[in-house]
Amino acid sequence: MNSRHETDLWQRRRFLASTACGVGQLALLSLLKRDGLLAAAESSANPLAPRESHYAPKAKACIFIFLEGAPSQIDLFDEKPKLKELHGQPLPESTTKNVRFAFIQKESAVLMGSPRKFQPHGECGMELSDYLPHLSTCVDDIALIRSMHTDAFNHHPGQLLLNTGTQMFGRPSVGSWLNYGLGSPSQNLPGYVVLTAGRGTSGGASNFASGFLPTTYQGVLFRNQGEPVLHLNRPPGISDEMQRTGLDALRQLNEQRLTALADPEIDSRIASYELAYRMQSAAPELLDLSGESKETLEAYGVDRPEPKNNNFRGGGAGVHKAFALNCLLARRMVERGVRFVNIYHASWDHHSNLDPELAHNCSIADQPVAALLKDLKQRGLLDSTVVVWGSEFGRTPLAENRPGRELNTGRDHHPFAYSLWLAGGGVKGGQVIGATDELGWHIARDPVHVHDLQATLLHLFGLDHERLTYRFQGRDFRLTDVDGKVVRALLA
Amino acid sequence: MFHRRHIGPGAALVAVVGFLAGTAASVAEPPALPPATKKKVDFVTDIKPLLTTHCHKCHGPSKQEGGLRLDRRDEALNGGDSGPAFVSGKSAESLLIKYVAGVDPDVLMPPEGDKFSDEQIGLLRGWIDQGVDWPKDDKTAGDQRAAHWSFQPVRASKPPVSKVAIRHPVDAFVSDALVSRGLTPSPEADRATLIRRLSLDLLGLPPRPEETAEFLGDERPDACERLLDRLLASPHFGERWGRHWLDLARYADSDGYEKDLPRPHAWRWRDWVIEAFNRDLPFDQFTVEQLAGDLLPGATLDQRIATGFHRNTLTNKEGGADKKEDRDKQLVDRTNTTGAVWLGLTVGCAQCHSHKYDPISHREYYQLYAFFNAAIEQDIPVATAAQLEQHARLKAVHDVARQPLAEAVRQYLEAKPADALAALNPKDKEKLDPELQKREAALAKFDAAGPKPPADLAMILSESAKPSPTNIHVRGDFLRPGAEVQPAGLSVLNPLKVGGASSEGERPSAAGSRPNRLDLARWIVDESNPLTRRVAVNRIWQHLFGRGLVDPPDDFGTQGARSSHPELLDWLAAELPRRGWSRKELIRLIATSATYRQSSRTRAEFNTIDPKNVWLARQNRFRLEGEIVRDLALSVSGLLDDRVGGESIRPPLPSGVADLGYAGSVKWSESKGGDRYRRGCYIFFQRTVPYPLLMTFDSSDSNVSCARRERSNTPLQSLTLLNDPAFFECARAFGTRLDREVTGDPTTRSREAFRWTTGRELDLAELETLVRLYEETRRQLQRQPNDATAIVAGAITPSGSAVDLAASIAFSRILLNLDEFFTRE
Repeated sequence: MNSRHETDLWQRRRFLASTACGVGQLALLSLLKRDGLLAAAESSANPLAPRESHYAPKAKACIFIFLEGAPSQIDLFDEKPKLKELHGQPLPESTTKNVRFAFIQKESAVLMGSPRKFQPHGECGMELSDYLPHLSTCVDDIALIRSMHTDAFNHHPGQLLLNTGTQMFGRPSVGSWLNYGLGSPSQNLPGYVVLTAGRGTSGGASNFASGFLPTTYQGVLFRNQGEPVLHLNRPPGISDEMQRTGLDALRQLNEQRLTALADPEIDSRIASYELAYRMQSAAPELLDLSGESKETLEAYGVDRPEPKNNNFRGGGAGVHKAFALNCLLARRMVERGVRFVNIYHASWDHHSNLDPELAHNCSIADQPVAALLKDLKQRGLLDSTVVVWGSEFGRTPLAENRPGRELNTGRDHHPFAYSLWLAGGGVKGGQVIGATDELGWHIARDPVHVHDLQATLLHLFGLDHERLTYRFQGRDFRLTDVDGKVVRALLA
Repeated sequence: MFHRRHIGPGAALVAVVGFLAGTAASVAEPPALPPATKKKVDFVTDIKPLLTTHCHKCHGPSKQEGGLRLDRRDEALNGGDSGPAFVSGKSAESLLIKYVAGVDPDVLMPPEGDKFSDEQIGLLRGWIDQGVDWPKDDKTAGDQRAAHWSFQPVRASKPPVSKVAIRHPVDAFVSDALVSRGLTPSPEADRATLIRRLSLDLLGLPPRPEETAEFLGDERPDACERLLDRLLASPHFGERWGRHWLDLARYADSDGYEKDLPRPHAWRWRDWVIEAFNRDLPFDQFTVEQLAGDLLPGATLDQRIATGFHRNTLTNKEGGADKKEDRDKQLVDRTNTTGAVWLGLTVGCAQCHSHKYDPISHREYYQLYAFFNAAIEQDIPVATAAQLEQHARLKAVHDVARQPLAEAVRQYLEAKPADALAALNPKDKEKLDPELQKREAALAKFDAAGPKPPADLAMILSESAKPSPTNIHVRGDFLRPGAEVQPAGLSVLNPLKVGGASSEGERPSAAGSRPNRLDLARWIVDESNPLTRRVAVNRIWQHLFGRGLVDPPDDFGTQGARSSHPELLDWLAAELPRRGWSRKELIRLIATSATYRQSSRTRAEFNTIDPKNVWLARQNRFRLEGEIVRDLALSVSGLLDDRVGGESIRPPLPSGVADLGYAGSVKWSESKGGDRYRRGCYIFFQRTVPYPLLMTFDSSDSNVSCARRERSNTPLQSLTLLNDPAFFECARAFGTRLDREVTGDPTTRSREAFRWTTGRELDLAELETLVRLYEETRRQLQRQPNDATAIVAGAITPSGSAVDLAASIAFSRILLNLDEFFTRE
């Protein structure tokens, strides 16, 4: 999947395009089959045509649920009785000496225990907080990593690192890499779709950009209401019949130019217009939930009542519904062959007022995510769909004592140890990987760096993270930068 | 550049410190050090084998732990991140000896394998005490990589003499390469294609139909040269070529990162670029002013604005962000961008370790970085003399008018007993004294309504009075400072002269002192710099052929591609200074060649011999950039407002797009009037919410320097051109114009509309398709008159028939989607 591979594909594409009119293609087929390029060649110039992975894949699709802003692992996934015991006490200086904080004043900071109650669940006995009652019923499918760590301690750089493998702007995100490496099975929808609820993320579109990869591989923002894709709807007064008439004429004109100039890009242009036309009917069909049963809609909580007080970071009116719809749409997309779905929700950045606001955010996310896991499982899709729940970093065991505050009710950014989970798509569920120390400050065993997670994700798709590269500015770039080890314990 | 990993602060504290990366230890000689040998030590027989066996695995060709490389003389003598490894004559103070002897029990080298014996340490000590004699002719001293083609001097060879008569030197070079591969050049493109190609390449705008007609009818032998003269003199030339430069300069109108605050003055620098292209500022001067305009003697405001080049760096104003870290990221960006833009090198690879492929050491990276570390950011007023004068006049009037109110406050205060006031702090004073509060408020209100000083600013760089020292960053981590370095150029290139190359009483750094950015800029444009000119002419070639002679254009290092036409590249590079570093002259030179004027039609033999058209047996045909696609639609529909320069514009943004920015912080207040229809290069670039049209068509994301845009071909592009209200508005204007200006049957209309969009005459098959489209669309609208009403949207039609006008609009919409329309052929 390097640039040489690209060049080969391209040359053959051109050859095919030029021979398609005259010379037969039979001889070529065997040649292409031998090179594993048949699929790509068959659909001519389509850069999203399915491609072979490096080895047999477990996962075919990924739903990446990104809880922007850093949910508190200490209050959701990683119980710390000792922290509760030392509540209100300072940390030894040796622990914080060389640590940088966004807002905490080291000299006067004290530990903050979690008021949450943790219970073991499922056959595996995984302990989760009482803020996640629905997710607690899915633990036997979940692999919970309590030893995630990252290099960034500000939001945007952290989000870029988790999504694109570096803290710098301008690199392709995981979804772009997967589509670049494998193409997309969907004929009528983009291979990489982004759904959002709540307020915008720190990184905006840079979190799902294709960076230096062609824009074919960038995340396409779907809206869950109204026009699902930008400019999907025809202009006023242009009927479907007129659209078809126009596109037929356009195709003929483009074909006439193709005959005159023999430029295969024109062929590719014709294909793009046809896919655009198919998307115009496929995307509304995707959003049409009339075929979904009442039970399904209820399970996802599409029409749950919203709490009265929702003037929180996690979003105001309509966010409960939007998030539930996004989860349901993610399943519908996976059913229709979309390779990678990003679900964003912002924000979980609880520097203050953590307890009630975390409760509020969990009331948005807990039920739909659990319903999604069960729904995928029931339809036999969970085996081939990896679901990830995570964020850019975690939150401190210390209470945040920003100057000028009377009460310290939140936690600051904590990149050194946090939690994230995966399910399905070849991930071994019902297990906890890694552990933090008794205060939740450092990792006690089995650290998993963001790059390790990324290497593992690609591995589930049958891709070797060291071989999936793209040449840019004179260097072969990859998602995992220069690091990353597949976390074997995660694999089923 | 890319490797940075912390397991956590605790882990970092106990992490094993790499060789020579530790802190400096005390200088007292510990008693345990084995004695230095007294015999004469020979490097080749005694020392080299020791280094090879014990050190090269971690400090050799493949790895340079701690920034130290011990297999090459010069780099070894330079030392590592913590400083020199050997102190000549003082073995006990040399880090190498301390580490191999284990003076600090935590650092014992080598970490694995056999340790040095006492006798071996004695040999090393003896060699150091005897003066570190490392022969220069030792074969490990040379660096094969320095022999790479692009580091060799530019060779100004003469164009080859060909058997066939070739009048243009470019063609002579190209023809030679073609003949040797059994290829023949393509015939000249037809005139209509030629004028469209030249207009698009030079201005990014299509020729107007009357311009095309005039050119087609111009039978003078120098018709093309005359056309070139006209295009090169157009003010739109600067917009087109300036935009290429903005890509390299990662220009944007906002800070980037979470806050992504607007940069309302960024356009000043953008206008400087456009203007610099229009007045054909010589490339060497263009370079010097952008890198160090502030250091030129008697620097003009314009020259200071030019330094805004490096203000395009992102700034992180996220709450809690570490200012030092952000500054480091900015300096890294400035270093990398300078290397990429002018030298075509991936210097960024040396941020964390010595470059794996190119002869750029970790130390040299921070020597370049040091130039920028000495610069500070400044926002300076750019008001014109007239603006300042007017302000002074108004202020004088205001100062007189405020006198009575100021007097009222003064008198009141004087009347009060002094101790009554002194006892109160200002806050209480106002609470307790409503009369004083009233009088002060009246004065404040009057002042607030007074004249404001002109607020226009420009973002520039200037030299710090007290530059902070620059240290090597161990593994690129700014929290791990290594040895201090001084600013310097790359040793593989021409020597950087301190205070050199200045003739007209410039103020570069004094000879022998610390070099500054002006020295850096002079080093870059020095005629002995082998890279600058090659990189620059390659970019010009790239924009005239869609592909550089060196492709990709962003790596002239050992991992990059070789030039397809090395002699041609060097000949052009030599021509550049010969033609006064004029880019317009170079463009003229290339565009007058037969190679440039060839048809872009593909021929069957190319598929096997030259599918990527490396050998140039034809021109290239490629989809235009996002801005230009929009410019084209606005232009042919008559909507374009072609004013040059000024503040960035915000054309309508599809609803919901701005919400992607952080917490609703992105405010997009739509431009009014003609500003909505100005060229795409003026669209406000908000980094976290880039304008969708631009991104759909592969515009540079403005975060890092972009030397070559992708040219993807996606359904989202099709949806945009078909349905985006902005493009439909163009179709409406185009169709209305067609309906108004071209009377007659569908055949006449089809011919004219096709001319407007493609600049050429259509053939019979195309005509049939278009006429059928027009008639079929019209029939559909007759059946559904409501659709016609919706399409014309209240526009008054000259013919009085909504159906006719709507048919004309729907028909035009398809023409604006023609592949040929947004392709440069």
